[in-house]
Amino acid sequence: MAFDRFPVKTAEVQSIPAFRDMPLEQLTLLASAMIRQTYAPGQIIFTEGEVSGSLWFVFEGRIKIIKQSLNGRVQGLCVMDQGKCFGSCPLFDINKNPASAQALDQVTLFLLPEAELQQVKVREPQLVKALLHIYSQRLTHLAKVSEILGTWAVPDRINDCLLTYANHTTMQPTVELTHEKLAALSGTVREVVSRHLGNLEKDGIIRSELGRIVILNPNALIPPCACEDRNVSPSSHRT
Amino acid sequence: MVSREQLLEIPFLQALSPRTQRCLAEKALELSLEPHLDLYQQGDPPTGLYILQSGRVKLYRHSKDKCQILALLVPGQCLGAESLPTDTPSPYAATTLSPVEALFLPPEHLRVLLDELPDFQELFLRLITDKLKQFITLVHDLAFRDVTSRLAMVLLARAETEGKPYEGGIGIERLLSQQEYADMVGTAREVVYRTFRKFESEGLVHITRTLILLRDLDRLRQIALHEAR
Repeated sequence: MAFDRFPVKTAEVQSIPAFRDMPLEQLTLLASAMIRQTYAPGQIIFTEGEVSGSLWFVFEGRIKIIKQSLNGRVQGLCVMDQGKCFGSCPLFDINKNPASAQALDQVTLFLLPEAELQQVKVREPQLVKALLHIYSQRLTHLAKVSEILGTWAVPDRINDCLLTYANHTTMQPTVELTHEKLAALSGTVREVVSRHLGNLEKDGIIRSELGRIVILNPNALIPPCACEDRNVSPSSHRT
Repeated sequence: MVSREQLLEIPFLQALSPRTQRCLAEKALELSLEPHLDLYQQGDPPTGLYILQSGRVKLYRHSKDKCQILALLVPGQCLGAESLPTDTPSPYAATTLSPVEALFLPPEHLRVLLDELPDFQELFLRLITDKLKQFITLVHDLAFRDVTSRLAMVLLARAETEGKPYEGGIGIERLLSQQEYADMVGTAREVVYRTFRKFESEGLVHITRTLILLRDLDRLRQIALHEAR
């Protein structure tokens, strides 16, 4: 991890959806309290069990939130990209981080340290409102992850991951995650993901390219057990 | 309207300022609810906030014929309004398991209280992050523990929140059906039946008509903490 000497700009903070409607004066205050950090792909940002009350915002790149078993197996909880916020569960109740965070790509983060966070929180009730919004979204996401792990078959879980983490802004949706990361997110092992993706490719539903998976027929990936949630925009699954 | 004394019986409301407590008391309603009553469905518009005074409620998600119970709530805990800050559909459903007494803040009043009372806003954030931590633990258990460990974990959690000492162990009420245990640990009813039989034959539990008696908490703890994956 590297601390960047360039200060965080007000306009950069404004690009974070949670703060879009915040008055300029308060945005400036928030920006002055933040520290720019960069992480290389694979670097750990914080680990499960650490005490930390800081808040991180993704400015560039992607990070993943993971749980790890005593046997070393990893379960992904979510992937977060630009504008997303993480790491503040212990904010009002100093406690241990319930999960770990790891950089997926080269990422730039804005860190709001705990002491500054407490100060800004007192002066700026809109920050608490923004956090309520973020955590409410995350609760919805985790409720769904629990249901998927508890009731869905493995192929459906992999298909759902492909749809959830695809970039839908391109002509054909693409997923830039390794088989191992897809396995962690869908609660299985890499071999099962590779076998399932091979079957999907044989059926003409996806195409594997170097470093990415192109989804040719998204409708064929919709799990039969998925209900109204599938109509929710993919970004809301990621928070 | 409810009295301030009633509010103060709920531990997490005691830290609120007297002004906030007065506002809550003015807007809250008292509810008496029957067992097996659906409080709200997954996909419903944001609900108000229910604060449990007595009885039990289950939170669950379902799709087609499958169900995953996310939490069993006990008095002093609350539910509802999880999606109010985002104004999105409720992420899960809630049903009473027994007769329930609850305080209820309707969504229209809740919005005003969240806008006007910073200490209530912080309390609400804490309630959401507490539930978030609970769900992270559930994801961990579903991902890394096998059915036997998960069932032991559920029994121990119930013993901790509602268990009473009996001769030969800690007793918990037979509140849930075997299907509901299956919906909690993410398996089929038959597997739960077989696992309970195994626990009984190993002397870990004894099941009567009204009670599940946990006879060997240490061994159950060992089983619960085992991560098979």
